[in-house]
Amino acid sequence: MRVALAEDGALFREGLLMLLKAAGHEVVACAAGGDELVALLRTQPVDVAILDIRMPPEPDGGLVTAERLRAVHPELGLLFLSHYAESHYLMRILQIGTDSIGYRLKEKVGSVDVLTDTLTRIADGEIVIEPMLAKRLVERPRNERKSVVSALSEREIDVLRLMAEGRSNTGIAGQLFVTPKAVEKHIANIFGKLGLHADASEQHRRVLAVLTYLRSQRDSETSDR
Amino acid sequence: MTVEPAPTPAGSTTRLGAPPGPASAKPAADSDDEARARRTAQEQWVRLRHLERQLHDGAALRISALALRLGMLRHRMPSDEQQFQAAVEAIQDELHLVLQELRDVAGMLYPPLLDEAGLGPALREAAARCSRSVRIDAGTERFGPAAEGAAYFAVLGCLAAEPREGRDDPVEVVVRGESGDNGDGRTLVLLVFGVDPCHASTVHDGVRLLGGTAVTGETGLITVRIPCE
Repeated sequence: MRVALAEDGALFREGLLMLLKAAGHEVVACAAGGDELVALLRTQPVDVAILDIRMPPEPDGGLVTAERLRAVHPELGLLFLSHYAESHYLMRILQIGTDSIGYRLKEKVGSVDVLTDTLTRIADGEIVIEPMLAKRLVERPRNERKSVVSALSEREIDVLRLMAEGRSNTGIAGQLFVTPKAVEKHIANIFGKLGLHADASEQHRRVLAVLTYLRSQRDSETSDR
Repeated sequence: MTVEPAPTPAGSTTRLGAPPGPASAKPAADSDDEARARRTAQEQWVRLRHLERQLHDGAALRISALALRLGMLRHRMPSDEQQFQAAVEAIQDELHLVLQELRDVAGMLYPPLLDEAGLGPALREAAARCSRSVRIDAGTERFGPAAEGAAYFAVLGCLAAEPREGRDDPVEVVVRGESGDNGDGRTLVLLVFGVDPCHASTVHDGVRLLGGTAVTGETGLITVRIPCE
């Protein structure tokens, strides 16, 4: 896979560069900041750009850089790496796009297998969310959120959590030790309960299910008095 | 440490709930202020010592143990590929825990999200970790690191305490900016509703050195005002 990398911490950047090469990926561009990477990628396409969130241009250059890169290369996959897994950043990332996008903790992409799996899923159009964050978002015992999720059964919440991690039906079935057929049924029920209708594509509705959930939480928190 | 500002006007202490007394009440108010200032200073040092212990007993201990585990791996390299993979994975998992503990300590010093995104996002993240139901109403306005830090930890202090017996009222927090009468000097106004009003004095101590105040209204609403940049 052809990848580009921007990270201002030299130690982590060099480490990731070595790991990417060891995994057999072609690192087309490697920069210490967003502006530099935008310049490097002006003329050459890559499959996925790996961006540190907190880098120049400060304060969160990764997000600004992603928007500029997507404006030039709409199909570009984006992997955001951060020292923190926060729902605040996840919402901002999902505002940039809900296709071919990922958000993971820096120390969690520390193996060839995980790194390649993450990049492949992003290049295939999936959303990849740090499992710890996805779990926290779905399981937090919040009153406001309960109202949205209360309509869902416990099993459906398990399925939604795994959907939030960006897993496929087969992946979810494997995790829950049920058949893919059963997962399909649960997902259909979730779509129904969240009011997501059949006119959108499956992948699109999966994302909307997760977003509906996240937004409902956000709306109830920011509503005006 | 900054120099203690001019003594608090007697008026601000009476606003904390003590009935406004005659002229003779003034020395008493001063000694109350002194006692509270001393208590705040003591709490600061206890907090620092607690953070140091957390670093020592947490991240530092884990890293020391990791050094030993790497030493073992070097001494007795598993012949079995699977065992080797498992050993490396265990070390990476342990490193994740070290980082989580460092994130916890960093969050207690100054939450990175507060610095980067302001009070609204930082308080929402904190509210989401809280077992009580908390509603945050805050815009995107910024108030500078000192006022924002003081306001953030004031809210956290209020949320940390158990709700009063048999009560689990939802907590409401409102953050607003207020401009001075003649356009100079902005004030961060923080309203906290649904927590024990006794928190007001602790909050007051926390914001006093910034020239701020915390008062309790009749309905138990705590109003915090912090001058800011």
